[in-house]
Amino acid sequence: MSELPVPAKSATQLNDEMLSSLRPPTLRWYVLAFLLGAVVAWGLYAFTYLVTTDMSCTGLDRPVMWGIFIVNFVFWIGLSHSGTMVSAILRLSQANWRRPILRAAEAMTVFTVAVGGLFPLIHLGRNWVFFYLIPYPNQRGLWPNFRSALLWDAMAITTYIIGSSLFLYLGMLPDLAVARDRAKGWRLKLYTVLAMGWRGTAREWLIFHKASTLMAALIIPVAVSVHSIVAWDFAVTVIPGWHSTIFPPYFVIGAIHSGVAAVITLMIIIRKAFHLEEYLTPLHFDNMGKLQLVIALLWSYAYFVEVQTTWYAHEPIEWEVYGFMAHKYTFILLLMLFGNAILPIIVLCFKRFRRSIPVMLALTLLINVGMFIERFLIIVPSLSHKNMPFVWGTYSPTWVELSVTAGAFAGFALMYTLFAKTFPMVAVTDVREYESQKALVPLGRTRVPSLVGKE
Amino acid sequence: MELLGIFKDAEGAARAVERLLGEGFVEAQITSLTSVPYPDGVLVKTSQRSWFRWFTLGCGIIGAGVGFLLAAGTAWLYPVQTGDKPIIALYPTGIVTYELAMLFFMVGTIVGMFLEMKLPDFSRRPYDGAIAEGCIGICLVIHPGGEPVACEPGVEPTECVGPIALLSAAEQKERAEEIMGDAGALRVVAEVQP
Repeated sequence: MSELPVPAKSATQLNDEMLSSLRPPTLRWYVLAFLLGAVVAWGLYAFTYLVTTDMSCTGLDRPVMWGIFIVNFVFWIGLSHSGTMVSAILRLSQANWRRPILRAAEAMTVFTVAVGGLFPLIHLGRNWVFFYLIPYPNQRGLWPNFRSALLWDAMAITTYIIGSSLFLYLGMLPDLAVARDRAKGWRLKLYTVLAMGWRGTAREWLIFHKASTLMAALIIPVAVSVHSIVAWDFAVTVIPGWHSTIFPPYFVIGAIHSGVAAVITLMIIIRKAFHLEEYLTPLHFDNMGKLQLVIALLWSYAYFVEVQTTWYAHEPIEWEVYGFMAHKYTFILLLMLFGNAILPIIVLCFKRFRRSIPVMLALTLLINVGMFIERFLIIVPSLSHKNMPFVWGTYSPTWVELSVTAGAFAGFALMYTLFAKTFPMVAVTDVREYESQKALVPLGRTRVPSLVGKE
Repeated sequence: MELLGIFKDAEGAARAVERLLGEGFVEAQITSLTSVPYPDGVLVKTSQRSWFRWFTLGCGIIGAGVGFLLAAGTAWLYPVQTGDKPIIALYPTGIVTYELAMLFFMVGTIVGMFLEMKLPDFSRRPYDGAIAEGCIGICLVIHPGGEPVACEPGVEPTECVGPIALLSAAEQKERAEEIMGDAGALRVVAEVQP
């Protein structure tokens, strides 16, 4: 028996469903926000303790002067990569399945880069002189050293956070107008200002599409440059284990690996929380799973090349670092390899697993645990066993560092939760455009999708 | 003065546009208001040319200049001697120049887009909340009246004036309301005169 056609939904029905996240918060939402806020408050207390004491309350000591704060920095900047980049690549390639996931990915980028950008400031110790990082003429007799990779970070992260925020806002512009037309009270005022008087004229749509394509093309090289510069923080030094030409592409691949995993995790959470099962379908997880598989293979290749080159050359100090890492951190090293390479490559080969929500949730969470470990194993073992054996040492984070880290995770989740309650989490007009393109039109004795999109 | 007809579907809206054109209005006077984009020509035809990407390019070049001056210019003005290294380090200067150029490119894209769209615009132009719910608006700019200018080669589309301009603005409005009503408009909203 042939399948019965599913009646198309009206624009109002689609709006109702996709803007459901803007409904008044429930008690559960308030409880979640309160819990996240409590963890953030604890993290702020730990940071205040750090500022009012000194860096001795951290586990940092010679020779390991970069610890969990810099691990967090690299991890969060890495996470920020995929949101905007995946969105931009899919937009440029006109992949229609991208439409429901754009907003979740782009918002993730903005909040992760905001959290990541805080960690170099937290790590400073004397946080109140953070403005020394900003390059401007001054009367202190100091001048920013542009040769320092840390200043490149400041420039690149500033560019990326502004660019990704603009990219997010640009994509939301028509949706803000839809939300404005249905809003009341403070939301009406907020959306009216942000929608800028958008009416959806033919000319506005034309320019909007050209600007979206241009922004997508511009944001990709910026994303690549940001994580390359983060990699240069390490690669331009002469620390064993860091001074490697493969670091920039390896960091970019690692960033995309963790970022794609985080986008999938957030898609699953949003899907469940806002009942978006009809819009975030197994097809989306299947496609994202294929992308994750490709990235997992690339990451494994890059990691293998890095280790293989060191192993074959067997330069003593380089090999010492690897030996120290393998002995001191055996369990987490194996967990990283299992979570980042072995398990994803095996599991994601199977369509059944790629389309299974619980499997994808567990796998993507594990990938990000693995990526956090990877950042730790890049930074700490190399600093522990540098060229001079008489200053070899180890590092363990203290409660202050762990509390700030917990605060960062909760802070990201809280910002995302607040954003999801304030702004449309699904690209309403994008999805509706695709729905209208799929509308059935009569052709001969049958009805076929019109697909009146651009070539 | 602007007149906005609200239609339930694209067919009615397209029918209204055809009839308005037949009556003597020109394409440049008519635009559609929709909550999803329609391909050019489905409802109205609009010029595909836009200038904002030149603005973006200009901003990017300025950004590159600012980045270069920030890194190289200041190193030159406030020299820091470091061994036998050059005062102006090319590699870091390249990075700072690149990042600021990209920043200005992106900001220029957004600013240029809004400039070309003529937004923000919070004036009370004809609009209807039903557009967000899938209805289609056909917006017509009524000419104050005057001599027709034919849309011939060499004449900018925005400078064309259809033969309907021979009528007074009030008569044009009346005709347009009648056409939109006949084409199936749910309602016709006129711009509130100050």
